[in-house]
Amino acid sequence: LHQLVTVLRDRADWPPAPPSAARPALPAPPDLHDVRGQTLGRRAIEVAAAGRHHLLMIGPPGSGKTMLAERIGGLLPPLTTAEALTVARIHSAAGCAQSDGELLERPPFRAPHHQASIVSLVGGGSWSLRPGEVSLATNGILFLDELGEFPVAALEALRQPLEEGVIRVSRAGGTVTFPAEFLLVAAMNPCPCGEGVYEGACTCSAVTRARYRRRISAPLLDRFDLVVPLSRPDPDELLAGAPGEASATVARRVAGVRTAALERAAELELAPDASSLLASKLRAGGLSARGLHKVTRVARTVAALAGADAVSFAHTTEALSLRAGRAAVVT
Amino acid sequence: VSAVGAPDLPAEAFAVALASLPSMGPARLRTLLAAEPPDRAWERASRGGTTSRRDVARLWQRHTSLGIAVLLAGGPAYPERLADDPQAPAVLFCLGDPARLGTAPTAAIVGTRAPTRYGIGVAAQFGADLAAAGVSVVSGLALGIDAAAHEGACGAGAPPIAVVAGGLDHPYPRRHERLWERVASSGVIVSESPAGAPTEKWRFPVRNRLLAALSDVVVVVESRHQGGSRHTVDAAIARGISVGAVPGSIRSTTSEGTNALLADGAFPVCSTADILVALALSGASVAGPPHAGRAAPSPEPPRGIERLVYDSLTTDPSSLDELVRVTGIDLPQLCGSLERLAQAGLAHDAGGWWGRV
Repeated sequence: LHQLVTVLRDRADWPPAPPSAARPALPAPPDLHDVRGQTLGRRAIEVAAAGRHHLLMIGPPGSGKTMLAERIGGLLPPLTTAEALTVARIHSAAGCAQSDGELLERPPFRAPHHQASIVSLVGGGSWSLRPGEVSLATNGILFLDELGEFPVAALEALRQPLEEGVIRVSRAGGTVTFPAEFLLVAAMNPCPCGEGVYEGACTCSAVTRARYRRRISAPLLDRFDLVVPLSRPDPDELLAGAPGEASATVARRVAGVRTAALERAAELELAPDASSLLASKLRAGGLSARGLHKVTRVARTVAALAGADAVSFAHTTEALSLRAGRAAVVT
Repeated sequence: VSAVGAPDLPAEAFAVALASLPSMGPARLRTLLAAEPPDRAWERASRGGTTSRRDVARLWQRHTSLGIAVLLAGGPAYPERLADDPQAPAVLFCLGDPARLGTAPTAAIVGTRAPTRYGIGVAAQFGADLAAAGVSVVSGLALGIDAAAHEGACGAGAPPIAVVAGGLDHPYPRRHERLWERVASSGVIVSESPAGAPTEKWRFPVRNRLLAALSDVVVVVESRHQGGSRHTVDAAIARGISVGAVPGSIRSTTSEGTNALLADGAFPVCSTADILVALALSGASVAGPPHAGRAAPSPEPPRGIERLVYDSLTTDPSSLDELVRVTGIDLPQLCGSLERLAQAGLAHDAGGWWGRV
């Protein structure tokens, strides 16, 4: 107390702050190391993390969609102080801040269930307007498992935050704008029976399939830069395959792209054979103008991850493969 | 009494009115018309009902203005091949020239409404080759295999024949409106349902029976375990019409039905020539297999890494993960090679799954 009085009377400087206690070791996100096989799936989450590309994974039950989604957090760089403060503000507004007042270090990972109410997803409430899951996922990941099971209204409500990075919640009591800037990761079965990854494997009727596909509107589907078809891993590989790259290795590549190269990536030129490939796809009707833009963006991220100076033919074809899953949900 | 009101109505008009009565199925219609001429049968059946002679005239006028020909069993235009059928339709509605039902040997090409690329390709090829060989392709204008077969057959050659379940005033399914018109102009569409009849469920198996009866041979391209093609096959077997099936992958649900048919003794159909041989055996006179040298010159074999990728592809599509594992090539290089193979027409992409062409 004596020390405090002296300081307040301006007779001494503030003593140095005590070193903050070691941050509580948050349970680390699961490691990519455990994922065997799944070359395409691993690649997809790496590209999603590096280029902030929204990702939709389409695969039968047991193809590792949830496993991969849970590992994206480990590939993102830790939050900066400014980001962590934003996250803390939102979390405290929602009444679910860290109890010890510590800042989060890892990007938040929110995985609302498909039966969650629309208010809990986008925010709202009857007397105090609280942020919803889309805001709680700011600077982190919003994971929607079983995308096809979410109410259509909830999915359509995602379009504003995906476009503007904010969500406006209007109620009789007033309007509040919450930040909602997240990486959207979604997973779904290719059809109700779950087996229709490639033609001939599915037992659903044509009508059931069409009804299931209609649940994901074309504008929503367009928000996903990456639409990846996943398949069940080969049993041999699952049991005896070599473990894949660890999260730390991939995270280093991702961090490299996200810091300096991200601005540079936007300026990467397309190699002549790459642009003529895209032109031919465009002419053949296999690609829309919007699709072209998306593929180019993804191809640039792929090239930046490889440390290349230009977007090559192979980068472009890889980007095309990373959205080939659209065929399973577009009629 | 019968002459009052509309003295100039033909017998067909009463047959149309009779067929348009609610809950009038083909079996009842056949019994009624076998016993009495149409005008008297109609009078008896509509007694106590609300339909009048004016309704008969209106229905008749509707059919003639739509260009729908009405054929009565035993009439001059009635197709000869149906004359001895145990379940021959008493009244047949036609869009297009009814004479086209009897000009050429006929082969039915039927299958699932949700086919794979393989099934669509095969059905379209058979359709085109059969039409060129002078064989009328019979199908149901349904989604999938039926439509693919007729798309192929509408080009040139023998007139295509479509057998549909609903009335001829509304194309069904709606998606096939243009194909419907093409078949009606180059061939003929037949139905047992009068114009205005709702497309009810029971009409489809009934249609499949007529489809089989109009064919010299029935070929199933792709079908599921319990598909509607089964009705057509059963009707064909009951009539002693030979049934062929196109073999498919044992991993494809769309080939379960056809592979089971092969196990049950259907003849395997691996080319158009197989169908033509079956037609010749069934007594139809066919021109012979289409000239075999029609295939495109085989493309140049791939080299280097693409050769390796090509060799690991099968006609059953594989996932990229599988290809990475089998070839040991990394993802970007693999994607590039696959795209080059696709450009050379050697590989095809089925939603991220790759197969050999």
